[in-house]
Amino acid sequence: MERDQRLQKLKELLFNEENDHLEDLNKEVSRLSAILDNTDVLTEKVAPIVDDKVQSFTKNELPPIVVSSLQQQINNSQEAVIEALYPIIGKMIKKYIANEISLLRERINTQMKASFSFKNFFKSKFGRSPNVDELIVNSQPVKLLQILIIEKQSGILKAEYSVPSADQSVDQEMIAGMLTAIKSFVEDAFQGKDQNLEAIRYELYTLHIQNFYNYYIAAVISGNYNSQIRDTLENKILEFAQNGISKEDLNTSDLFSNRLKLFFENDIF
Amino acid sequence: MTSSKKITLIGTFGVGKSSLFRRFIENQFSEDYQSTLGVQIKKKTVTLDSGESMSLIIWDTEGKEDVSMNRSSYLLGSHCIIYVFDLSRVDTFTSINEHLAFLKENYPNILLKVVGNKSDAVSIKSVQKKLSALDITPDFFTSALSGEQVNDLFTLITKELL
Repeated sequence: MERDQRLQKLKELLFNEENDHLEDLNKEVSRLSAILDNTDVLTEKVAPIVDDKVQSFTKNELPPIVVSSLQQQINNSQEAVIEALYPIIGKMIKKYIANEISLLRERINTQMKASFSFKNFFKSKFGRSPNVDELIVNSQPVKLLQILIIEKQSGILKAEYSVPSADQSVDQEMIAGMLTAIKSFVEDAFQGKDQNLEAIRYELYTLHIQNFYNYYIAAVISGNYNSQIRDTLENKILEFAQNGISKEDLNTSDLFSNRLKLFFENDIF
Repeated sequence: MTSSKKITLIGTFGVGKSSLFRRFIENQFSEDYQSTLGVQIKKKTVTLDSGESMSLIIWDTEGKEDVSMNRSSYLLGSHCIIYVFDLSRVDTFTSINEHLAFLKENYPNILLKVVGNKSDAVSIKSVQKKLSALDITPDFFTSALSGEQVNDLFTLITKELL
């Protein structure tokens, strides 16, 4: 018995330290097992390491591989790449130009508003500032050169006024006849029975045509003919037609031409 | 401004509509317009012995076999229509009466003159027999070559339109 006790004592002396160590190891294994079994905890532990590794890979090792691969792909299929990029680049350019024009327009308007002159002062005073359209119009001033009143079906010239500088080399009555023929031809050709030819443009000149029941009025103008000019001219012609044309007028050409001159000889634009 | 009237020339191809008046016309556009638009505009101012004058704006249309094929917008508004045929070509006057009936029906109240052209190329007597047989009575026998009766035609039209 004494011998057993002594042996036990000896065991304790010899293995006590190892037992403590073993117990610690068991505890550590249990802790690690708990980590491995719990995904959230494991992810929390591993994620930073993986992130570091991936970041290092994408920063240092991947770019050369991707660039090299892309270069090879582009070289091998240039047409396909252009085909794919063309619409995208086209849209980008279009958008860019539209944006730049819009900016330019705004800049010019801002400049004009800000510019100091009596004209602009008064214009801005009354809430009207010059815009880009006006600048363009001012660069190509619109001028009424000639106005003809022509009987619709016969093409007979009923009244005419030309500014002194207008070219008079071709007989006005023949112009009226030929214009009526062209007008009839175009209206017949496009089967526009209820529609009328309203304008003919040739380079810097425009022939504005305004139709009435028995006659039409053709105005030859030089310069930039735009919707604003067209409206002004239409209104002026309507004003003349309302106040100035009667059945008798169409039969007394000389007097009628004088009235036409009086009405249109001053600058209407 | 002298009063103006629209005169329209019609007739079959090659009857001499254009050459008939060419020498008397004061102003005219390039003949290219006729092949493009189907019409050429010419102007002739006629002054009568009385001193009265009139501008005739002449619409010289392209030749059509059938008068109904003429563009109506070119004929509308005319004060006078001159129907020209070739005295030397029977085929240009065999259907005249039908054509005249069409014109009278569709363009009433317009002065109508029937002109047999190229009188220099035929014996008037022999042609008149053919015309009588077909019951055709032209208003004038003209010659674009010699100018025969062309002035008379214009003068009469002017007098009638004044």
